[in-house]
Parts: sequence; structure tokens; C-alpha cells
Amino acid sequence: MSASLLYFDRFGKPEDEFAIIERAKRNPEHFAPLYKKYHEAIFRYVIKRVDEEESAYDITSCVFIKALTNLPKYEYRGIPFSSWLFRIAKSELYQSFRDKKAQRTVSIDSMQLGKVMEEFQLDESEHKREVLLKVLPLLKEKQLQLIEMRFFEKRSFREMGEILELTENNAKVKTFRALTKLKELYSKYNNQK
Amino acid sequence: MTKLLIDRQFPSSDSIASRRNFNAILDGLPKKKTINSPWFYGAIGFSTVFLLILLNFFM
Repeated sequence: MSASLLYFDRFGKPEDEFAIIERAKRNPEHFAPLYKKYHEAIFRYVIKRVDEEESAYDITSCVFIKALTNLPKYEYRGIPFSSWLFRIAKSELYQSFRDKKAQRTVSIDSMQLGKVMEEFQLDESEHKREVLLKVLPLLKEKQLQLIEMRFFEKRSFREMGEILELTENNAKVKTFRALTKLKELYSKYNNQK
Repeated sequence: MTKLLIDRQFPSSDSIASRRNFNAILDGLPKKKTINSPWFYGAIGFSTVFLLILLNFFM
């Protein structure tokens, strides 16, 4: 199944949510079904980027409070409601990093790291994995974010674009550039060894 | 510096669901501002409004 199909399977069609959103704009209590639907997805997005579980729960709550506060301003302009929530989550995360001077975390699954190695046409040796893990944090935040969303969270370019406020094509181009940069860093580091 | 965490254990869906609390979200919403100024509700406020209505009526 393609990444974009997974995306719509996960959250349903945006039209289904319009009525709930309109009702919630008048009375926040009507927001409950959307809170229930997106709570886990937002929490998982947050926890992959922070190292403390309790902070992740707090940030998730802040995301929904902010979403409900700003809901009257929300208008459907082709961007699904889920992406609007992820945008708020992204901004709340950076606010939290600034406020707490906390370290940005990237959570990686060994299997997903294998996908990056495949992209580099590398066989999965322990040494190569180590080098890749050493150079990943050397990427700029925006580049790391693209690699993280594409390879570690398996998001489609369309969804990435919607969350990062880029066009789908731009998300694709920037991810390609981030990969090229990662390859450069990998070769540089690997040659130094 | 970014911290990389490999093969981290995340809470289960059930455990995440058990932490859902919509009432806490509603309680966290900013309260709507009410006007507490005596100028608005007090004798001066009422008489100003009354005067304005009266002026509007005769002019």
C-alpha cells in the first residue's frame, strides 16, 4: 500500500470532519470525537521528538488546547484537519524546546534505518550503521525533519508538504537534497575513518 | 545537539488512550473575558447609557 493511501486510511476523508468542526466552533464540547480520533497520532508524533513520556503528554494536551482556541480561525483550504493539528504540534514542540532548553530527539527503528541504508545502496554492516548514526545529527534541523518524516515515519510527500507548509513537489526536492547532504556527510566521515 | 534513540519502546495504544482527558482540555481553554468594571455596570455606566438613549430619542 502506498504511503498516501495509508494517510487517508488512517484519518478518513476530510469532508467527514467538516460538520464536527463547524459544531465545535460554536461549542468546544463537540470537539470530543476529533480529540479521540487524533490524540494518539499527535502523541506519537510528539513522543518521537522528545525523550520524556510525561513531556510528550503535556505537549499533546497543549496542542489540543491551542487547536480548540484557534478553531474559529480554521477554514478548510485543501489542507486536511490532521495536517493542521500536526502543524500546531510542530510549533508547540519547538516552543517547548526553546522554553525548557530541551534536546531534540530523533527516535529510530533499526528496520527504518535499513531503508535509509538501502537508499544509499549500503549493505547493513555494523560499522556502516554506526557511521550513519554519527552523521545523522550533523544535518540541519530542517533536513533532519524531512529524513525523519519520510524514512522513520513513512509519511507521503503530500502529507509532509502539508505539515511543513511546502508543496508536495517542494517536499520531494528538499528530501532529495537532504539525502544528498547526508550521503556527503557519510562519505566524508567514512573516509576519515 | 540532536539525540538519537534507537529501538525505543513507546507506550501501547491502550496506555495512550487511558491518558486521554477531554475535560482537562476544556478546562485548559482560556476563559472568556467578562467586564468587571464598575463604569460598565455601576450607576455611572447605567446613567451614561440612559443619557445616550435619551439624547438619541430627542435629537
